[in-house]
Amino acid sequence: MRESIIMKIHYGTALGAVALVAVHILMRMSQKFSDSLQYQNVIANYHFLPYALMLEVLLVLLSVHGFNGLRVILLELKQGSTYERMINYGSLAAMAALIAYGSRTILMAGMGVS
Amino acid sequence: MAERLSNREGIKGMANPTRYGIERVAYWLQRLTGLGLLAYLIGHIYETSTIVNGKIAWNQMLELTQTPQGHILLTLVIGMCVFHTANGIRVMLGHGGIGVGKPGQPEYPYKAASLNYKQRLCIWVSIALAALAMMYGASVLFGD
Repeated sequence: MRESIIMKIHYGTALGAVALVAVHILMRMSQKFSDSLQYQNVIANYHFLPYALMLEVLLVLLSVHGFNGLRVILLELKQGSTYERMINYGSLAAMAALIAYGSRTILMAGMGVS
Repeated sequence: MAERLSNREGIKGMANPTRYGIERVAYWLQRLTGLGLLAYLIGHIYETSTIVNGKIAWNQMLELTQTPQGHILLTLVIGMCVFHTANGIRVMLGHGGIGVGKPGQPEYPYKAASLNYKQRLCIWVSIALAALAMMYGASVLFGD
């Protein structure tokens, strides 16, 4: 994929993540912060389908943005075809692993598996 | 070869924010806050995954994270997040040509068209917004 397209994805995921992080924080602020972290309240968040879907989208946006940012930093440090290939595939693998692990939590908590 | 290697500072060059003025500091902070936020994201996803192990595991995790040290860390995360967002929007606008001057013949006193006062002001505004957000965040976290 061309770097110009990757940068557009980077900026798009950034803007999307800003909007969804704001909603995520506002949900915590809708009640006293320590109360919002109580087990029942957090489980209720996962059981509320629109919010769970929003968390999933947020997880994908932040993982793509975060690991692409890390990829850019690492490519600024050093260049070379083997190194660049290693960083590109490594970032993709780490991104996929984080999305899989976070999705597992959202799915299991949402379906009441614990 | 020796000259080429002396110009290759690698991670030391990237970690040094002192040269080239406030723009370099913004570049450095953007990367530093990005790395910090990625580390926090991974930690946060791990932290929240304990919910699937039941109420006891969740409460044990809360005991570990809902401490003064945990709140200081969260306050720093708020600051990093706000700076990274505000400065990121500045960079995005700059890449789109918004807020950067038109190229022209250099005339004394040489004023940079690309990183002009608007861009510099935006960097300071980003830092100020981050500081304000940290103060508000700390008041919420420690006021509980």
